Amino acid sequence: MNPVVEISIWQLLLGLIFIILAQGASFVYHLGLNRDIAIGTIRTFAQLFLMGYALTLIFQLNSVWFTLGIFVIMAVSASLIVRGRVKEKQISYMVPTFLTMFTSYFVTAIFVSGLIVGVDPWWEPRYFLPIGGMVIGNSMSALAIALERLFKDMRQQKNLIETQLCLGANYREASSEMFKNAVTAGMIPSINAMMGVGLVFIPGMMSGQILAGADPLQAIRYQIVIMLMLVGSTATTSIIIMLIVRKRCFGKGEELLLSTSGSK
Amino acid sequence: MTPLLEIRSLDFFYDRQETPVFSALNLQVNQGELVRIKGVSGSGKSTLLRLICRLQTYQNGSILFKGTPVESIVPAELRRSLIYVAQIPSMIDASVKENLLFPFSFSINGHKDKPTDKKLLEMLEAFYLQDIGLEHQARNLSVGQQQRIALMRALLLDPEILLLDEPTSALDTKSASMIFASVDYLNEEQDKTILMVTHSDYHSKNASLVSYVLENKKLGKE
Repeated sequence: MNPVVEISIWQLLLGLIFIILAQGASFVYHLGLNRDIAIGTIRTFAQLFLMGYALTLIFQLNSVWFTLGIFVIMAVSASLIVRGRVKEKQISYMVPTFLTMFTSYFVTAIFVSGLIVGVDPWWEPRYFLPIGGMVIGNSMSALAIALERLFKDMRQQKNLIETQLCLGANYREASSEMFKNAVTAGMIPSINAMMGVGLVFIPGMMSGQILAGADPLQAIRYQIVIMLMLVGSTATTSIIIMLIVRKRCFGKGEELLLSTSGSK
Repeated sequence: MTPLLEIRSLDFFYDRQETPVFSALNLQVNQGELVRIKGVSGSGKSTLLRLICRLQTYQNGSILFKGTPVESIVPAELRRSLIYVAQIPSMIDASVKENLLFPFSFSINGHKDKPTDKKLLEMLEAFYLQDIGLEHQARNLSVGQQQRIALMRALLLDPEILLLDEPTSALDTKSASMIFASVDYLNEEQDKTILMVTHSDYHSKNASLVSYVLENKKLGKE
């Protein structure tokens, strides 16, 4: 098999042609995206270079504490990104969200790297961190969508929730429809990805392995495990978090605490 | 005899507001009474009903249902016993029949028998709704019709007190008089205890009627 073809720094900069095209389109059509595209490009370079150097260092150090430290940073960043997207001011949901995200990702990553792939030790950074990163990244988007939907629907349907409460519903019964819709909305992208994988797109990890010279038949096995892991961990994490957050939307008397005006 | 509902020295103010909505407010509602509270818009009439069924929380004082503080009663149990019918009726996106029966799916109402179609049709007639069928889409009805469906829905659960919030606010005179006639009928013929807040005039020969006015953060007899 051919060795990996390396990309020089000049070839990398050549990739900026795509950004110039995007900037041009934004300028011509007044999309107002020039600043965001520029910041996004700079961040892509800076964050990935930083990540590259950090991973090189961590692989060399091969220390469980450094590996776990990086994992914590990834989980904290994910929860901050979720907070930035959801923008809920009335209900405090960050602490339980972070704790659940961290625990669930940690358990999933250990399960996959230690048991399914069978890496020894289980925290071998070359496996543990990319697997953890994929779990966190995928579930983060699902969570942001689900939380946003839950808060929005419960606010919009405050009258209906209160009507049901007044007719004897407990808070779970009064909000079951909004809960279900929110979890489903978060899960749809992961389920769609399972439907389209291999037909519509070649997933990132598998592409990476193939580009790096791996046998496609080995690459698909990894990918199947990853897809199953992503759907499972996204479903369990978002259901646990939505259960906790929904409870927090109601007071001691099971009264709805969300007001229709105080969202952002 | 212990009043069915008693409010003692109730204070309530919204977050970050120094002026209270109520200050040391007292009220007693006895079995079989029809209590009407009148007051201008913004005087806190709806808030009072919402505090009674714990949709909002008050700061000081106490609200007792049959002598027990409302906070000591399981919320779903409390709200099923004193049903609050909101000013703007809220219907699920389904037929009239489904709107009347969905509360029977809640665990707390599970032991109750669902009313038959015959009983529902008789009720529609008693509420001057004989022209609409049980399969009609509830959200397509007028506000006045929805208001009466909401009242029927509450009655089917056989509450001990009905808390009616401005039941005629969005209605023309004819529909309003139908609602008031229903309220009188429920109190006089079916012995229902009713606490109703309204700002519209309501003339009734009902002997059980007790009228209060809510002004200056307190209740006074009319």
